[in-house]
Amino acid sequence: MEAPPVTVMPVTGGAINMMEYLLQGSVLDQALESLLHRLRGLCDNMEPETFTDHELVYLLKGQQGNPFILRARRSLSHPTSPWHLRYLGQPEVGDKSRHALVRNCVDVAASQSLPEFLNEMGFRMDHEFVASGHIFRKGAMKVVVSKVSRILVPGNTENTERMSLSYLVELSILAPAGQDTVSEDMRSFAEQLKPLIHLEKIDPSKQRH
Amino acid sequence: SVRASLLVLFVFQQREEKQLETAVESLISRVAHVKNALSSFIYKLENEYERLTWPSVLDNFALLSGQLNTINKLLRNEKTPAFRSQVIIPLLLSPDRDEDLAKLTEQRVPVFSHEIVPDHLRTKPDPEVEEQEKQLSAEAVRIGPELAQKHIQALNKLCSNLLEKLNNPREDREGDASAVRQNKASFNPTDTSALVAAVAFGKGLSKCRPPGPVAPGHPGQGPMMSGGPTLQQVTIGGGSNQQAGMGGPGAPQQQGQPGKMPSSIKTNIKSASGSIHPYNR
Repeated sequence: MEAPPVTVMPVTGGAINMMEYLLQGSVLDQALESLLHRLRGLCDNMEPETFTDHELVYLLKGQQGNPFILRARRSLSHPTSPWHLRYLGQPEVGDKSRHALVRNCVDVAASQSLPEFLNEMGFRMDHEFVASGHIFRKGAMKVVVSKVSRILVPGNTENTERMSLSYLVELSILAPAGQDTVSEDMRSFAEQLKPLIHLEKIDPSKQRH
Repeated sequence: SVRASLLVLFVFQQREEKQLETAVESLISRVAHVKNALSSFIYKLENEYERLTWPSVLDNFALLSGQLNTINKLLRNEKTPAFRSQVIIPLLLSPDRDEDLAKLTEQRVPVFSHEIVPDHLRTKPDPEVEEQEKQLSAEAVRIGPELAQKHIQALNKLCSNLLEKLNNPREDREGDASAVRQNKASFNPTDTSALVAAVAFGKGLSKCRPPGPVAPGHPGQGPMMSGGPTLQQVTIGGGSNQQAGMGGPGAPQQQGQPGKMPSSIKTNIKSASGSIHPYNR
């Protein structure tokens, strides 16, 4: 067996060097309807889209000791759809001039045998969850309002439990590296959702404790 | 005295003519302003609609309405003679192309012929408009005066209600704000942190294996493992044994793979209580 490609930055340069710009926030259940109403008004005129996804997070422990993380997602509402494999790089949050969290992002569509393939490569599943909610778009911006549920029995997506009494709200844009102007658009969009919700650049490592 | 009064009349007529001339001139220049503003606005709408922002559209509307207001003021001015009482008579009609006329009208009216004069010197509404007006007045006659009165009253009531609402928007808005205040916060920062941590590295989610040496989530983010009794890092020299390295850290599987370059496997076992985290290196 070939050695797995264990490196922290797998894709640099080339056509797929995309960055994800991200702002996060949450909304309490009782304010969800107001938020959805406002988003329907602010976002592109389109059919309201809902989703139910099962995300499995895989780890591969590398030679440097840094675990390598891949996220596999599948739609529970459309079981025949392809799986979605996503790599997310280290978040860059330090730059004050940027209004959003920025991280390297690689998206790949995959077949249903993705879990076996990852297992064969040496990846091990670390945790899984079910996210269900609504998607809105405004130009390049994507707004996902989702309920996060933990899975009580591993692998059984029927048996779940709500994480909290709030919905997670994520505003994101995928853009080639260096296009920091998009974070301006995101900030002004986030302004329009105040005071209902506050979308912020949140450093995940600070939430660890 | 007849001569004198004729002279006065003549002078008076001359003055009136001059007034009319200046009034027409200033009207023409004002209309030209409106025309320029309109054409530049139309140009923007047709060619720059992708970059056009709503505030600049509003600016354009404001400019137009200002210019139209000036024209209205000019027409209402005492010094402006009543254009209504002026009569325009077509003196010469010709089917031939008139270059001067074409130039004057920016190629819009190239000939001053029998065909177009009735349209351009028309003082009544267009035939279609006239037709519509006729229909409307016919309908108005058909409705009895009582019913009409009722309609008028209903419409007046609607309008006054609407006006009242428009004039007192503050009360309503304050009512809304207080309602929001009553509902308290619509979000909870603690929930935000919990949800972000959950999707970022599975905090609070059911782990698929017991919390142990393998650090979940993003690397290099400070010491986060306080649970496991031991931390162990496996470095594999040869590629053939990687499965062992990936295996559950609780079980030292690398020993369960005999005969496969054991010398290339280096195992470090460190105490987790130590302040040095292996992933920080």
